[in-house]
Amino acid sequence: MTVMRDQVVKSLVQIDVKANEDGLMPGFNVLVNQLPTAFWNTVAERFMAIAPPDRKADMEKALVNCAYECGYHTGYGIVSSSEFQSVVMPMVTEGAKDVLRGAFAVFTAWGWAKSGVVQIRDGERMVIRAVDYYESDSGGSGLRAYMVRGVSAAFMELAYAAPYPNGMNTFSCEQTLGREVGDPHGEFVITKK
Amino acid sequence: MNLELSHTFDEASFRHFVNGHNVVLHCHHYMSLTAKLSEDFADLGGPRVLREATEDSIRPVLDSYFAEHKVAAPADRLDIGRQYFSAMGLGRMEVSGSATEGQVTLRHSHVDEGWVQKWGAHDKPINHVGCGFVAAMFAAAFDRPARSFQVTESASIVMGAPASVLAVRQA
Repeated sequence: MTVMRDQVVKSLVQIDVKANEDGLMPGFNVLVNQLPTAFWNTVAERFMAIAPPDRKADMEKALVNCAYECGYHTGYGIVSSSEFQSVVMPMVTEGAKDVLRGAFAVFTAWGWAKSGVVQIRDGERMVIRAVDYYESDSGGSGLRAYMVRGVSAAFMELAYAAPYPNGMNTFSCEQTLGREVGDPHGEFVITKK
Repeated sequence: MNLELSHTFDEASFRHFVNGHNVVLHCHHYMSLTAKLSEDFADLGGPRVLREATEDSIRPVLDSYFAEHKVAAPADRLDIGRQYFSAMGLGRMEVSGSATEGQVTLRHSHVDEGWVQKWGAHDKPINHVGCGFVAAMFAAAFDRPARSFQVTESASIVMGAPASVLAVRQA
């Protein structure tokens, strides 16, 4: 048995995400929020829009980094959570590869992207395919799945870099295909830096 | 008047919707870094961009709710906005105001408390998302166009205050 994404997703979406009496959502060792995807897309597009040509690359890097740090810390909270242990770990038979498959099932369940691992070379390279992701709705030009890129690199580090919290800046992710530019799906290639 | 939330999960796209609006879970790291990004690009108007992006993306959520549930009175609309703020995990607010001015007190703030959890206290207000939300809330409550209200933080949890205070004035 390996990690069955759709089964994991269906189990995890049953978990009720509700704010407490303080209007906060503590969980997975972080404070969670549940905002419209239009918010995140609008923020990213407008930040890119205000950046002059000589600072576009810096802005893009900063947007990816926002998700990267989020993915690293929240990803750790997810894979060490009781929910992950009870839903995903019983399906894990291939070590780190299956933990990654499980992490991307959670990635899907949280509404980030309908995505999955299509190729892993242990500790070296991973390819993610996303058939649907909210960043593809945004109205900018070119490939712009900053969030998927950041989180994907972070998840690879959680599986194959030095143990948390010392594994950052080991992998990077490039987007090679995007629904937002007319491709049938998004594709993300994670490699060692 | 209690906010009614209808959560649905689309089995085909695996997207989540609340009251018909596509929503996504993220964490305080993402939010804090987004706030910091706006500060890092302050020379390009980053904080203003973040406020306006928030106002423009929250407004449709409020407008559609008011239309669907026939919420017409400004006080009721402000109260629904207050509840939405909490439902999104952004904190707990108290709100009062009129068509020309108002005040919002945040007893808890995801943006501020997330920032403190990540980096500790800061020397200036950073809740641009909260300000944008409140601007949307007042404009929606009083049927005004975007940018009708200016929202300024006069006290901030991130700076050590026990509560954040947001002053609202007609622009």
